[in-house]
Amino acid sequence: MNTNIIEGIILLVLVLVLYVVYFIRGDKKKLKDASKKSAKMFIQNSIRLFAIFVIIAILEKFLSPKAVSAFLLKFNGFTGIIIGALTGAVMMSPAATSYPIGQYLLAHNASYSLVSAFLFTWVGIGVIALPLEFKFLGKKFTLLRNSFTFIAAILLAMLMGALL
Amino acid sequence: MKTILKDWAIEITILAIAIVLAFFNPSKVGSALLSATKTYLNLFVVIVAIALLSSFIVVTIPKQAIGKIIGKQSGVKGILIGALFGTLMIGPAYMFYPFFKELRDKGAGANIIATTIGAWAIKIAWIPFAITVLGWKFTLLFNALIFVFAILSGFFVGAFFKE
Repeated sequence: MNTNIIEGIILLVLVLVLYVVYFIRGDKKKLKDASKKSAKMFIQNSIRLFAIFVIIAILEKFLSPKAVSAFLLKFNGFTGIIIGALTGAVMMSPAATSYPIGQYLLAHNASYSLVSAFLFTWVGIGVIALPLEFKFLGKKFTLLRNSFTFIAAILLAMLMGALL
Repeated sequence: MKTILKDWAIEITILAIAIVLAFFNPSKVGSALLSATKTYLNLFVVIVAIALLSSFIVVTIPKQAIGKIIGKQSGVKGILIGALFGTLMIGPAYMFYPFFKELRDKGAGANIIATTIGAWAIKIAWIPFAITVLGWKFTLLFNALIFVFAILSGFFVGAFFKE
């Protein structure tokens, strides 16, 4: 988790350098515009993201890694891939949380395909963030991108199964 | 008032769900709120940086200037920039959606944005950890395939946008 803070600081410093370099050349009015807009955007984004974090946290309380793994181990074959992909799409915690679950599944004889589908949609599709994608990137974009990602998850899973 | 409700419909719904659940299981909702706050604080710096960067782009960059670099017709260069950006960035992709919207408004191609979001599934910083947990063969093949997927995703989505 600390990598988020460290990399976040690097990103912030880069952005601040951009600001300083651009605005040192003059345009004070634009600096004012940009900071006003930033403040507004920061507040709005904070509320939207916090709401998503809350729903993810609630989900985590109900879908523990143990419960999820036990559920997934009931399936195999093509059904396993589909269920794996659907389950991963619901999960939204950081990717690092998903790897130990994948390890546990593999250790309990789940197929590479199921685990790949699950791990891929975990990071590739976020059902809870769909309304946010609708809002900012449009319905058409969201539907196209996510349906393609779902189909790709299944193909990728089969490829992983065939190659490993 | 009506537009405010519409604009914040998702957040209001989530608030309502949380309140209802809190009646049934206050301790679970309480600890969920705590862990959401932790996540927020963890990503706080990134959220600040995104707001600053997005408004910088809105205010200083002329319309269509972005399109030259990552527009629909930017070709291999644009796709690679998108894929690389998605691979290197941190935090959840949805955190960057407001930023992507500003890029789109300034001429960024739908294909490039789709590739960027696709490549987000590659977590460079976590690859060493993934290798220790899942093995190098699984991890490397998995991430290589995600990279290919990200680029294909751009072609697919882009095919439906004229721009």
